[in-house]
Amino acid sequence: MDRLKTEQSNPRGIPQAKFIDRVESLLNPSTCTNEDVDQLLKECQTRLQQYKFMEENKRLALNGNKSKIPNITKTLEMVQYLKERKEEDDDEPLQTNYELNETLYSKAEIDVQNLDNVYLWLGADVMMEYPLDEAIELLTTRLAVAKEAVTVAEEDLEFLREQITTMEVNTARVYNWDITRRKGLAPK
Amino acid sequence: MELLPEGQTNKTEVSWEDQQRINEFSKLINRKDQFEVELAELSHEKDYLDDLSLEIELLDDDEKVNYKLGDTFVLLRHSSVVTRLENDNLVLANKMTALENSIEVTQERMNELKNQLYAKFGQSINLDR
Repeated sequence: MDRLKTEQSNPRGIPQAKFIDRVESLLNPSTCTNEDVDQLLKECQTRLQQYKFMEENKRLALNGNKSKIPNITKTLEMVQYLKERKEEDDDEPLQTNYELNETLYSKAEIDVQNLDNVYLWLGADVMMEYPLDEAIELLTTRLAVAKEAVTVAEEDLEFLREQITTMEVNTARVYNWDITRRKGLAPK
Repeated sequence: MELLPEGQTNKTEVSWEDQQRINEFSKLINRKDQFEVELAELSHEKDYLDDLSLEIELLDDDEKVNYKLGDTFVLLRHSSVVTRLENDNLVLANKMTALENSIEVTQERMNELKNQLYAKFGQSINLDR
């Protein structure tokens, strides 16, 4: 039934679109009816819709992953700075203006020389205490994972783009083939 | 990619190789758009940094500067802010050069594909906006 299926797929299992090499391989020009052609066009449309739906979902997933990166980067920068500052031989406490609440800032001093641990928000109402180095390691790993997810999603989107193009060209070609066929049928 | 206008017929057969070229082209045109958006964002950021580098010169050397790290302002010595800005500027400039190169490479490949496809399909295909 599904004559537009192929065996190939990309590494994430997104099926490759079938390229219709010759329309005649799917429709016999001497016996096919208008309904047969419509049926094929409909199948092409269904495939196209499926790909577009997948594209939309992937795009949402991509944006989700992309939005994680700035947060991780910000936290990582801060922890790295704390470590840098701790290693400097500077007895002065670190002065900050921190966000106490939205649009409300307050002053705080951090005794960097005696700061060993930071608390990372892990999500799901959990916060964990980490030594500076471990925090940097954890955040670096998370950043790499998020970046990798973005790369993969971008790859998938490009793959989907290609499959959509294949299906669009297929549709156009079946349509044109049908016009030629109908012209041939018209009484001379 | 659009359907051919009504009444126009397409006599050239599309082969699998052609299809792959068309696909690559449509992929690259999207990729290039993406790169250009990113580049525009970076150049915006560069403008800010440039302004900032100028402004910072006007400040008193002894005064501490509120420097935004993450979501918090950290009071930094003037000199270390200058170092940080220089560093940020360098990282940004490198990113921009890399993006500009990517855009150029993508454009070259697109031109190549364009020539091949126009040579075969002529009027039947439209690869320009």
